[in-house]
Amino acid sequence: MIEINNLTKIYKLNAKKKKELKTNKDVKIAVNDVSFTAHPGEIFGLLGPNGAGKTTTLRCVATLLRPTSGNVKVCGYDTVEDGQKVRDSICFLTNEIKLDEHFSTDYLFNFFGKLKDMTDEEIAARKEELFGVFGINDFKDKKIEELSTGMKQKASIAVNLVNDPEVVIFDEPTSGLDIVTAKAVLDYLKSLREKGKTVIVSTHIMSEAEKLCDKIAMIIGGKKVIEGSIPEVLEQTGMPDLEDAFFKLYMENQKENEEAAK
Amino acid sequence: MKKSGLIIKKELFRIFGDRKMVFSLYVLPVVIVIVIYSLMGRLIGSMEKDVTEHKSVITVVNASDEYKQLAAQTGYDSIAETTYLDSKQFADRQEALEKEIHDGDSDLIVIFEDDFNAAQSDYLSGGSSIPGIKICYNDTERYSSNAYAVFSTVIIDTYKTTLLSGRYGDVSLLDAINVETENICKEEKANTEFISMMLPYMIVMMLFAGVMSVGVDAIAGEKERGTLASMLISPVKRREIAVGKLVSMGILSGISAIVYCISMIIASHMMGTDTLEGFGGISFNALQIVELLLVMLALVFLYVGIVALISVISTNTKTASSAISPIYIVIVLAGMCTMFRSGSKTSTLQYMIPVYGNALAISDICSNELSLINFVASFGITFLIGVALTLTVARAFESEKLMFNA
Repeated sequence: MIEINNLTKIYKLNAKKKKELKTNKDVKIAVNDVSFTAHPGEIFGLLGPNGAGKTTTLRCVATLLRPTSGNVKVCGYDTVEDGQKVRDSICFLTNEIKLDEHFSTDYLFNFFGKLKDMTDEEIAARKEELFGVFGINDFKDKKIEELSTGMKQKASIAVNLVNDPEVVIFDEPTSGLDIVTAKAVLDYLKSLREKGKTVIVSTHIMSEAEKLCDKIAMIIGGKKVIEGSIPEVLEQTGMPDLEDAFFKLYMENQKENEEAAK
Repeated sequence: MKKSGLIIKKELFRIFGDRKMVFSLYVLPVVIVIVIYSLMGRLIGSMEKDVTEHKSVITVVNASDEYKQLAAQTGYDSIAETTYLDSKQFADRQEALEKEIHDGDSDLIVIFEDDFNAAQSDYLSGGSSIPGIKICYNDTERYSSNAYAVFSTVIIDTYKTTLLSGRYGDVSLLDAINVETENICKEEKANTEFISMMLPYMIVMMLFAGVMSVGVDAIAGEKERGTLASMLISPVKRREIAVGKLVSMGILSGISAIVYCISMIIASHMMGTDTLEGFGGISFNALQIVELLLVMLALVFLYVGIVALISVISTNTKTASSAISPIYIVIVLAGMCTMFRSGSKTSTLQYMIPVYGNALAISDICSNELSLINFVASFGITFLIGVALTLTVARAFESEKLMFNA
């Protein structure tokens, strides 16, 4: 389970970043008082445009960033106070975190398995399962640098899932993938839900969220603007589909965002 | 620290599991150093041979019969191609001859003064005249400067001795004082002067080069490629990741430094020049070897800490390399300072200066002069700074600003 309570993350801006963001402010509020809970056996979708604060929220869940205020609990452990216990039960998949290209998938699978305190037998059993699901056996001994984008993504998913974590955090799960690989990834996320795992994904592809997620939260300008199951969101916004619901909320919040950005 | 061991194993496998990496990191530098040095050796050898075999082109003005006789007796005639001129002929051609010397077409002009014979007779009979010879040569031309050196030794020195004997009889009486010298040096220092001067410089410089070559990529490179983060989200203490990274960097760069040193020694033997013979002349006892290893170990520890800290702070390999370059220059300078050390006593405080103190300690180890207090000062301070840097790197691994530019 993931519990996010009044999470706020503020970045200090140096001169270079101020210039990049075209702002005079000394700080940027990336996530502003966001709260939600993702339960086991549920796929929770974090939706929003680029720069809304989705990745920052997920990084806070993954212990990579410390909340400025508020807290995040994963499987009952606080991400700041019990960071290592949190890391024991999560897997964080994002395009920004990559596998070392000098090694093969097989080597890295063994390495991360041992790093996560697994025995050789446990690693071998998980390898057989995950390499089979993602069709990795054909290229398991090839170096990561020799693989295609889709193969790299499959390898990354398999390696990160080596210890069968309770919580799976996935930033843009189908980004850069072809349609076949994307389907394999989404099907696997559904199978994790069936196994009772907590899955949280961030995406800006509304159709994907509609098919995949049990519950969603939309973040615009760092603030959570709506939360609930998809039928609940559609009902609250009075829109026929998620994309229209998103645009409605986006337009409503846009003016406020522009002022905040200045 | 079990997980640090796993990280060390992985980092070593990254290099030794890849033939290309092993080749570029450990084989290629050896080949390059050996090829360059043996090429230099050959070129220097052939240059020296060419100068020695060259027949000097000289012009002798107003040569007396005695001179011609002397040239024939000493065999100088056979190693020089001599043109004899009188004063008038020389006056006509002086400008052209001097230009030839200047351009390197001719090597030497020897001009006996017009009254040389008269002055010589006067000198031999106890008079006050001193016979004069003017020599023109070009010091920037190897043939010319060699011709001058040979002429001075073979002709002038012989001439002088003959004249002195003619006037004073026993030439040895002219020494006035009979000086007997005995060179008392420490046995350990004999034949090791060169190596105790060069080795510290080479070690402090090459160890850093070794750390630089593997360290920047191991941290800044992995940060840039996003592969370090995959370890940071694993259930491993950041301290264990830092130790794993630093120890593996130390091992890889240590091997690199040893490989460099060995290749330099092989290459210097291949050069076969006298100045490098000291490499072969040195021998260490067990204590010296242990001291040397400990000092090198502490130095590697320090370097790894410096390079790792800069790599952690830098956003990519480019900025890390730029930031490390000035430090490399400072280290080279610190190593060079010990080459020009003189005097009998070096203060223990100087042994406490990082890098410089280590170079001093290595220099003293070579001549077996390192005192225990100086060893402890050098090793201890370097080790403590290494520990402080390692702790700082481990803390930096916790920083979201440094690791994720947040």
